[in-house]
Amino acid sequence: MSDESGFRTSGTESVFRFWPRHNEAIYERLESKHVWLEQALRNKAKEGDPLEHEMILNIGPQHPATHGVLRCVVKMDGETIEKSVLDIGYLHRGVEKLAEHKTYQEFMPYTDRMDYIAPYSNNVAWCLAVEKLVGIDVPERAQWLRMIMCELARISSHLLWLGVGLMDAGAVSVFLWTFKGREDLYRIFDEVAGARFTVSHSRIGGLVADLTPEAFRLIHRFVDDFGQEIAGWEALLNRNRIWIDRNRDVGTLTRQEAVEIGLTGANLRASGEPYDIRRFEPYLFYGEVDFDVPTREEGDSLARYFVRLEEMKQSLRIIRQCLDRLPDGPIRADDAKRAYPSKDEVYYSMEGMIHDFLYTDVGVAPPKGAACYQAIESPKGELGWYLQSDGTGNPWRAKFKSPSFTNLQGLEHMMEGSLVADAVILIGSIDPVMGEADK
Amino acid sequence: MCSRKARQVTALAEMPADVEHIPPAEESTPSHRVLDFFFTPRDAPAPGGDNPLIQSTTQAPQIIRALCDRFGKAILGVEEYAGEQTVLVETQRIADVCRFLRDEQRFQYLADVGGSDRFVEEDRFEVFYNLVSFEKGKRIRLKVRVDEAALTVPTVTGVYRASNWNEREVYDMLGIRFQGHPDMRRMFMPEDFEYYPQRKEFPQMGIPGSLPLPPRTPEGPLQYDPYPAAHDGPTPKSYQEPPSEIAEEE
Repeated sequence: MSDESGFRTSGTESVFRFWPRHNEAIYERLESKHVWLEQALRNKAKEGDPLEHEMILNIGPQHPATHGVLRCVVKMDGETIEKSVLDIGYLHRGVEKLAEHKTYQEFMPYTDRMDYIAPYSNNVAWCLAVEKLVGIDVPERAQWLRMIMCELARISSHLLWLGVGLMDAGAVSVFLWTFKGREDLYRIFDEVAGARFTVSHSRIGGLVADLTPEAFRLIHRFVDDFGQEIAGWEALLNRNRIWIDRNRDVGTLTRQEAVEIGLTGANLRASGEPYDIRRFEPYLFYGEVDFDVPTREEGDSLARYFVRLEEMKQSLRIIRQCLDRLPDGPIRADDAKRAYPSKDEVYYSMEGMIHDFLYTDVGVAPPKGAACYQAIESPKGELGWYLQSDGTGNPWRAKFKSPSFTNLQGLEHMMEGSLVADAVILIGSIDPVMGEADK
Repeated sequence: MCSRKARQVTALAEMPADVEHIPPAEESTPSHRVLDFFFTPRDAPAPGGDNPLIQSTTQAPQIIRALCDRFGKAILGVEEYAGEQTVLVETQRIADVCRFLRDEQRFQYLADVGGSDRFVEEDRFEVFYNLVSFEKGKRIRLKVRVDEAALTVPTVTGVYRASNWNEREVYDMLGIRFQGHPDMRRMFMPEDFEYYPQRKEFPQMGIPGSLPLPPRTPEGPLQYDPYPAAHDGPTPKSYQEPPSEIAEEE
């Protein structure tokens, strides 16, 4: 049946009332997909299936354990997932398209809404990409401050992963515990940027404002206290039989598999590949601070847990060094054609006001034909922007390299052969953010 | 400035000899901060050099030379901007080039694949590949161009498994089909959607009626335009909706 507008809707030929072609394509894919364990199961199936174990289950998109709107269509044999097809895009807002209609600075608040667990990292990634495209030199103090805030964002993201991951495993109380830590971080972000969640504090060419003494006091207190918190979680979890049994040997990927599938971030490092953009292409001052890139060899969910916990400790180390080495100076490039002028200039000089107006209206205009890629190590992995300019104030093309997107592709592979009860653990341990994966 | 100085000199010469020469007071610094002006935007992209964010990983002249030696005419050119080298490859040879880079140059990791619409240019679409070598510490970008009439690119899923979803995304956004791809479905948009939104002619606000959305009431019709007022349509009133059986039962 098709209605007057030409769309096929509910009808006799389709069991799907809504988006029939989309759903049919997913089920066709599920049938036709070849997976590595298919042969083994087919041999078993020759013995007969009197109890009819086979079933197809839709997990999501609305499900608390999917960390957003992730839809997993799985074909199960008993409790074992035989094949899985992930369907994403339920949070697709077309940010890359939107970026083409915004000036570079105007697009900044959109990046907050992508990886909404660690918005500061996204701001910095966007700023660095534009700064590379235009060739802006950012003052040192701004770069050190960006590093501090990026590492706080990493801790914030890992805290959410830990709390939610443990809630998936059945321990609700730790969720509240980690959110106490996130609350401290929110207080810092609130003091720094005036917003708890979507900070938009970074600017092209620097920062919007320097940190207040109160913010430094809060950061110092957080850095001093947080090591104790991590020690508490380690004492609770590192020898916790339930937590270890739920995680060990779940979703194991060898180093070669992880590289082939293209996992990034902690998921890749848990399989033994020490790929970290902070080491590979040191941006900001990551080349000058002392930190370790934690790796594990096992490649299972437990390894990912250990890697992320260790990363939080390393973040603390980086923040301490940044606080010690923080120089005085300006926090934004003094170049009114490439960065916002300070409010003093805007309010008290005519040129400043004109520049402010022009920067808001047109913004920076990189040369025609310029294109560059700039990546950062976000909490989820390699997060990059590939920008192409046509010489105007709007990007011609802004391609977002999303770590959650690539990690979810690995999840499809990891789910095959695991138990359906472990699917929830796996989604948690991969740590996807759908705002980022769906763009 | 020069003329003023010259005038000062003549004025001094006319003065009587017994008056001591007093050097002119130095120009005091202005009370406001002097702003830099860059009136003329640079037209041609500079190859880098002074870019503060330049990375050594993106410069791989040896690898590019090896590529040129191996593939010759299939390497159409090398672009450079901000210290990043982009190798333009003949479209049909992209899988071979990728296999060579993976097997012989140790680029085991594919970071990203994406597409771009160049609109009025000759070969309208381009697809770029971002490859990483952990051992060599290098990153390289390959690029192929495809015409609107052909609109097919050979897949690299046989070389890099990681490109599967990325190629699906390019297909979804730009409509470029990847020959030999095992699963050429749309990535984000549902199959029922018939446009390619990342193309330049697709309007930013979308096309009303292009995608059915869930009904507002359990038995109501599917919605084709959730915001009719934005497209000069009538705003539906709640009393115009069909009565819900479920609501009446309650």
